[in-house]
Amino acid sequence: MIEAQSLSRRYGDFTAVDGISFSVKEGEILGMLGPNGAGKTTTIRMITGFLPPTSGKVTVAGKDLFESPREARRQVGYLPENVSLYPEMRVSEYLAYRGRLEGLSRAELRQAIPSVLERGLLTEVKDQIIGTLSKGYRQRVGLATAILHNPRVLVLDEPTVGLDPKQIISIRELIRQLGREHTLLLSTHILPEVELLCDRVVIIDRGRIVAEGTPESLRESWMGNPAVRVAFKDAPADAAAALAGLPGVVGVKDGAAGGSWLLECERGSDPREAVFRTAVERGWVLLELARERGATMEDIFVRLTTHDAVETPPAAETQTAEPPKEEQREVAS
Amino acid sequence: MNGILATFRRELRAYFFSPLAYVVLFFFLAVNGIIFIYLIGQMNDPRAAGGPPLGYFFRATWLMLLLLGPVLTMRLVSEELRSGSIEVLMTAPVTEGQVIGGKFLAALVFYGFLWLPTVLYGVMINAYEKVDWGPVGAGYVGIMLIGALFLAIGIFASATTRSQLLAAMMTAAMLFLLFLLGVFEELVNNDVAKKALGYVSIWSHIDEFANGIVDTRRLVFYLSGTLFFLFLASRALEDKKWR
Repeated sequence: MIEAQSLSRRYGDFTAVDGISFSVKEGEILGMLGPNGAGKTTTIRMITGFLPPTSGKVTVAGKDLFESPREARRQVGYLPENVSLYPEMRVSEYLAYRGRLEGLSRAELRQAIPSVLERGLLTEVKDQIIGTLSKGYRQRVGLATAILHNPRVLVLDEPTVGLDPKQIISIRELIRQLGREHTLLLSTHILPEVELLCDRVVIIDRGRIVAEGTPESLRESWMGNPAVRVAFKDAPADAAAALAGLPGVVGVKDGAAGGSWLLECERGSDPREAVFRTAVERGWVLLELARERGATMEDIFVRLTTHDAVETPPAAETQTAEPPKEEQREVAS
Repeated sequence: MNGILATFRRELRAYFFSPLAYVVLFFFLAVNGIIFIYLIGQMNDPRAAGGPPLGYFFRATWLMLLLLGPVLTMRLVSEELRSGSIEVLMTAPVTEGQVIGGKFLAALVFYGFLWLPTVLYGVMINAYEKVDWGPVGAGYVGIMLIGALFLAIGIFASATTRSQLLAAMMTAAMLFLLFLLGVFEELVNNDVAKKALGYVSIWSHIDEFANGIVDTRRLVFYLSGTLFFLFLASRALEDKKWR
């Protein structure tokens, strides 16, 4: 549905996005994850056709964004990071205006507006002036306009930023619903959001893709071997040796408390049953037997995007200084 | 077409929903009215030079366009650049040209709306003495043509910056330059230069229009100038994304 081929974007000497390629399949929810200033917004702007890439190519629903921009843009609904609406308009007026921009006919508008008002839980504010709406409502108006022309692709740039927890929950619920009908590209730096909503994740750092995959596969490939925590009553002396002999167990470490051990296991193996049988055979009282919580998206994210002094190239100082510059350039310098 | 129409409708509404429109309307009509009263007073003097009063009216009031141009256009594009609403606007299936075109037409219609009440002056004079409507019509054609060019210049300035103030100042500077070219026409001695300046001198143009002359050269000058600045404006808007 979305194909991005080696997209790059430079602002003067600063490379905000450096050869990013990815694709989003029909019906998929792809999460784009990255710290602030990693190039997410720039990438998204190239995909929605707001910014032309310095090099590279984007196709949406088979249409090249720069050869047939109008056809391609018609397939995309876009919620930018900073939703800015016209404050003097009423919600329903604004929706009508956006619909006309998208080329909807009067009859289509009459059908589409009440339906997006309802989906966005906006019906009770439809006659309110946008300037008087709270941030959460404005975000919803932005979402409503993004789905107004029933696009096949939805691109949402940090849709929950700046909302209160209750609003975040309701926007997420709405996004989940939308994900059933649209192909969705979602950018965020909120990690639980990715695990909650996305089928696949692309992690971007300093303008490059540093990891890609399903949340599970990322977790698996980055967390190392699975581990099991075991504790026996009275700390039997030969426990460590017995545990080490179990199939699938690679190593045994002493746990935090006396009488507890941490088993490092082969990938894909689960020695818990064997541990239980051993305990029963030897008459040890099993106090604890649990899989260690694997790496979270958070761990992976931090590992991929933290740059310590050793691996930082000399140019890093200017690079870390750059991201705010990107923000300033957001709309147009 | 959708793009032009949707932008036009929204911008026209925006004019009528902003307090600025009414402030502009108020002062425009107040100054116009004062000029009109003064003119009638002067022309009632038997020693005054003759001629149609509305001819003098156009010659005097066009100067207000130097202020009106920046004020009516400064917001049009700058505001979208500043607030960021340009982002959803330009990711809709519309071109820069359509957006600029729609905004220009809205400004032009609002500008026409400002002049509408002045038609009453003609009607009032007509009650006392028969008005020759031909030159009056030509005067309005001139006013609309000059207005179109000024608004196009203003939109261009507005498309180059996110600051409304800067846009207004740039517009005012460009319009003032155009105004000065007419003054220079009176000052230069060189015949070629005089002719060239005469071609772009709004002073002499409004004189002609007020006398009922609609010269094709003037039509070409104003229409091509308007299109040229609208073109520049859409290029300026397009250029924003390359930087």
